[in-house]
Amino acid sequence: MIKSKKIFWVLSILLILSLTLVGCGGAKDEPAPKEEAKKEEAKAPAALKIGFLGDLTGDTAMYGQNTLDGMKMAVEDINGAGGVLGSNFEIVEADHRYDKAEAANIVQKFVNSDKVIAVIGDPTTGITKATAPIINQGNVVQISAGATGPGVVEIGPYIFRNTLLDSVGGPTTMDYLVNELGWKKVALITAVNNDFSVGLSAIFKEGILKNGGEVVIEESVQDGDTDFSGQVTNVKKSGAEVIVFSGYYTEGGLIMKEVRKQGMSDIIMVGGDGLQAPTFWELGGSAVEGSVSYAGFSPEQPTPEVEKFIERFKAKYGKAPDLFHAQGYDAVMLVAEAIKNANSADPKVFKDALAKIQDYPGVSGNTSFDANREPIKSPVYLLQVKDSNWTLLKKVPVKK
Amino acid sequence: MTLLNGLLPPYIESIAITVGIYIIMALGLNLITGVTGQLSLGHAAYMSIGAYASAIVSLQLGMPFIFALLAGGIAAGIFGLIIGYPTLRLTGDYLAIATLGFGEIVKSLLFNMPIVGGAMGLAGIPYKSTLTVTFILVVIVIWMMLRVERSRFGRALLAIREDDIAAECYGINTSLYKVKMFVLGTFIAGIGGALWAHKIMVLQPRDFGFMKSIEILNMVVLGGLGSIPGTVLGAIVLTSIPEVLRFSSDYRMLLYGALLVIMMRFRPNGLLGGVDVTKLVKKSIKSITGSNFTNKEKKKVKGGD
Repeated sequence: MIKSKKIFWVLSILLILSLTLVGCGGAKDEPAPKEEAKKEEAKAPAALKIGFLGDLTGDTAMYGQNTLDGMKMAVEDINGAGGVLGSNFEIVEADHRYDKAEAANIVQKFVNSDKVIAVIGDPTTGITKATAPIINQGNVVQISAGATGPGVVEIGPYIFRNTLLDSVGGPTTMDYLVNELGWKKVALITAVNNDFSVGLSAIFKEGILKNGGEVVIEESVQDGDTDFSGQVTNVKKSGAEVIVFSGYYTEGGLIMKEVRKQGMSDIIMVGGDGLQAPTFWELGGSAVEGSVSYAGFSPEQPTPEVEKFIERFKAKYGKAPDLFHAQGYDAVMLVAEAIKNANSADPKVFKDALAKIQDYPGVSGNTSFDANREPIKSPVYLLQVKDSNWTLLKKVPVKK
Repeated sequence: MTLLNGLLPPYIESIAITVGIYIIMALGLNLITGVTGQLSLGHAAYMSIGAYASAIVSLQLGMPFIFALLAGGIAAGIFGLIIGYPTLRLTGDYLAIATLGFGEIVKSLLFNMPIVGGAMGLAGIPYKSTLTVTFILVVIVIWMMLRVERSRFGRALLAIREDDIAAECYGINTSLYKVKMFVLGTFIAGIGGALWAHKIMVLQPRDFGFMKSIEILNMVVLGGLGSIPGTVLGAIVLTSIPEVLRFSSDYRMLLYGALLVIMMRFRPNGLLGGVDVTKLVKKSIKSITGSNFTNKEKKKVKGGD
């Protein structure tokens, strides 16, 4: 009897606490629509809300922040030109600290409380996959500007992405490596605790073999490692002519330093867009000179439209835009384009128009969606490090 | 079984489920670290074992959720037994390091096992952790913990925490009790992990790193080591604060950290550490409804141990 009483008390405390929690949440949600209602009366049609899903304070904060900056500029441009179908765009932003549980809560908020028409993000494949089922079920369009791995758009008809896929960039780069640079003996290094790297390595390997190259050695590293002497020694013994590395810039830079330290002076690194950060040469210094990577965006040799974008971006943010800026900008523009084409801001309607977009001249390349809603972005930029900066090596158009 | 589902707005419901899952995991750790005083820094590892085991049962075998839940709990419990048996002979810092190491080993294994998708992880896990299921499990776990606390077993664990040599002198087989306790704690972590897997729908090894263990430990310490209502409160506060503070966007995590520091300054024993909540509530109810308690008894409600 006493025991059950005690349990009763604990449970009632719990209930009270959970009610207060719910109460707080509700109270916070309610005033917002009222304020908006007032605003709406002042300036008719309601703003179309776009959710920004990304990381602003966690491990992938750079991707999130840059995507958001690009999106903000796109929204400014759209609203400056009178909006879409007479409505302005408005960004609803939320930081998930690179935490899947928090990201899942955020998209529930986007879909059900904020009533967004589209979610842009997340730049990583993992969180995109964790949030897409919820967004798809809520009948809201999601465009990930950065999820390059497999199994994303298969989740549902509302899920899109706007980025150069590993399966497009990887084979193109390996084709160039084996056939144009003429290196047949390849050392393939994978960061096994990095999903992006594991996926890309499989694509690289297939590309090397298809073009008649040979993978003479496969080595594994871990993201966060700082000593690569063992792996590099093995690479040296294998007689490889080039190192293909599918991981990120930090490990890439350190591996190349070790390569030079062990006396291999003419071997270079070829990698994916994971190498695209100044950290690569800040860590690697002269050791990474000549390294090659592919990317979906380069500020060099721009088309006139892209040149304008770069100039305006520099004026606004005081720096040159990178891939994530450009992809974030384009993602918002693609939503606007789809709404215009469909003549409706209802995600149920404009998702079909979005899937039909062909050859959209974005700042991050020409974008088309294929029959499976996968993006095909052209061209692929092959970049090379020269004097601690990426310089354009070659623009390779992608066949649809 | 759909009693509570859809009762709350989906955003709140989603947060409530997350809170529930963290309550379960924090209660498991509270048994190990709070009640028995064995500092474990690898709780997320047991959570990941439960999550992966349940996901495999759901995905590969297509079995109902209840089996997935049990599989998650049992798998984590088995690992708890394997790891607990040798390591629980260690105490204090040594145990902390051993559990920390185990956490890293599990993460590395998950990264390197193709059967669980390596770094890419498992995706497409069905959504089963509804509010009703989570709520029922939270109630069951709280009930279990209350039963343990008030049993001979629970008092033996408390004795081990206070002084294991003295406990041994009183005839308590400390090793056996510690291992039993550890298996129960990790079993609960596995259940929490299974719920997590069927809410988030995607599992990646990087979600179960050292920081996740610390996050759960935070909840226990903030709420009050050894206090069940405290742990529950700690889980609720730490899971919902980031959402409540969302209005302050850029300063959110700053505020979060500041709140933690302030709370540790003013309540070093945790929010409800050393507070006997059941007594406190009974007292206040009695005093409102006209109690027959004497003043002497009222003073017995103590704060701090």
